[in-house]
Amino acid sequence: MNPTILPILLPLLTALLVLFWGKPGRPRRVLVAGSGIVQLALALWLVARSCTGESFVLTLGNWSAPFGIVLVIDPLAAIMLALSTFTALASILYGYAELSFRVEHPLRLPLTQFLLAGINLAFCTGDLFNLFVAFEIMLIASYALLTLEADDWDVKQAFPYLAVNLVGSTLFLCAAGLAYTLFGTLNFADIAMRASVMADDPRVLALGLLLLVVFGIKAGIFPLYYWLPNSYPTLPIPLAALYAGMLTKVGVYVLLRVFGTVLPHSLEPAHQLLAWLAGATMIFGVLGAISRNFIRGILAYHILSQIGFMVLAIGLFTPLSFAACIFYVIHHIIVKSSLFLIGGVGLCLNRTDNLDRMGNLWRHAPWLGVVFLCQALSLAGLPPLSGFWGKYAIVVVGLEKGAYVLVAASLVASILTLFSMLKIWNSAFWNSPDEREVCLWDLRWVKLCRVAAGMTVVSLGIGLGAEGVFRVAQEAAVRALDQEGYARVVFSRIGKGGATPP
Amino acid sequence: MQIETALLIGALFGCATYLILQNSFVRILFGFVVLTNAANLLVLSMSGNPAGRHAPIVGSVARPLVDPLPQALILTAIVIGFGVTAYLVLLLYRIFLDQRTTNAAELYEDQDTSEHT
Repeated sequence: MNPTILPILLPLLTALLVLFWGKPGRPRRVLVAGSGIVQLALALWLVARSCTGESFVLTLGNWSAPFGIVLVIDPLAAIMLALSTFTALASILYGYAELSFRVEHPLRLPLTQFLLAGINLAFCTGDLFNLFVAFEIMLIASYALLTLEADDWDVKQAFPYLAVNLVGSTLFLCAAGLAYTLFGTLNFADIAMRASVMADDPRVLALGLLLLVVFGIKAGIFPLYYWLPNSYPTLPIPLAALYAGMLTKVGVYVLLRVFGTVLPHSLEPAHQLLAWLAGATMIFGVLGAISRNFIRGILAYHILSQIGFMVLAIGLFTPLSFAACIFYVIHHIIVKSSLFLIGGVGLCLNRTDNLDRMGNLWRHAPWLGVVFLCQALSLAGLPPLSGFWGKYAIVVVGLEKGAYVLVAASLVASILTLFSMLKIWNSAFWNSPDEREVCLWDLRWVKLCRVAAGMTVVSLGIGLGAEGVFRVAQEAAVRALDQEGYARVVFSRIGKGGATPP
Repeated sequence: MQIETALLIGALFGCATYLILQNSFVRILFGFVVLTNAANLLVLSMSGNPAGRHAPIVGSVARPLVDPLPQALILTAIVIGFGVTAYLVLLLYRIFLDQRTTNAAELYEDQDTSEHT
């Protein structure tokens, strides 16, 4: 059996099985957790195998590449798969610790698995229209999860999310149609080969800009991020962690894939635009974070400012900056998800995450404080934590390319990030008026804290073993930028309709 | 036909944008319906002119054949668009039930998002 299909098939089968299982209960939970562990193991195996030079290609229905749909797993896709399955597993385990299965919503687990199937399909696909389908699977599952356990305030916040993403999907459909007319194909490898000879055609640049808007909406770049900061905080904590970690990063991944692998590398204006929008995203995201006064809101805005760093690395467009972007994605997904989980532990202990009514956490739960500090300082980018290495690489590339203004913006954003992390630290942990109750009797917090601490250990490992991780990221970046190599791998699979092997 | 189709698509996109930017829920809803249809029509028109194109089938009579792939894409897009529109209707109805208003401006007029518990 070709392992390329498994990252999509496993969550899909789990989702269907759990959906028809019906009543929430312990066996159902064990099944989903077991499936999550198998998915993670599979994804790690794929990373290990693909980094040694192997690529996994599956021609669906045995139709050869430009005619049928292909699924391709190269190192970049494998890394993203590992991250998505890891975050999903952490989110599921946190959900188990947070709520007893007696009060669990029966649809939450199946929908999470459908969401994961959509995310994984977006990483594996080698076809523009199939990418559209993957986005829709992911978005529809995310709409449903967003309003599943929502009260009237939350439902109100879901509307902008739905509306903006609906416009984005429509534009994506238009872009797919235009790409088909322009290149006569929707296959990534085929587009890459045909576009390289028509790089001077202004229509290619126009298509590139349209795709930039589409994936910019999904990633949350500066003028297009309005849907994000108010909708994410309405989610239950474990789902918020999954959304914060994965959904916008799907947009970043697709930007990497489209500008690195698919479109010609000479689209200088689009790269410039990406870099400048990224600079604006960093500053506006971090300013938005300062304006918020509850943990989930602050963290939701920080997603945006961090997206700015990743997109800036894409916009600088050198192999090293791509590697820096991939490293930053690895760092960011784990740190951001775990910060949401830590915020959730604080919410469980203080019964609120409004900074005006929190406090005393350091006195009663010092280990939670240590875990928070590790992740918060990593987010701000202090050495030797993982965030530092990603920012360092981006700043080095920025200085080499002479983008001094953007480098300055990124440093300002880092300092402001540190400021708002210290705001959380001061209000929730350090501040200790006597009337703030800390509900230590609610023993759930110990298990919740363990899940968050597990993610923190992984994140510390990334920071301390940064050299190894960076090497993997470099390998992924080189392979993602190698259009001819990608096409060779995809077209090497001969099936129906393909050229006969010599 | 090409230029007429292009004008029609432009007009539909214009109408859709105008309707989505209105305050009333019903208009917003119709805006999205028109928007998805405009996109579908755009993809349909990408089939191009059938003159001089033939089906790649051995032994068939060489008759002009329109490119069928965009039509396959639209079928998928219509199904997805239908599902999402149904969801949008329900979401707007739920907001109407909660807030007793169908005016988007009124809905978000005095919300303070800086603090939420």
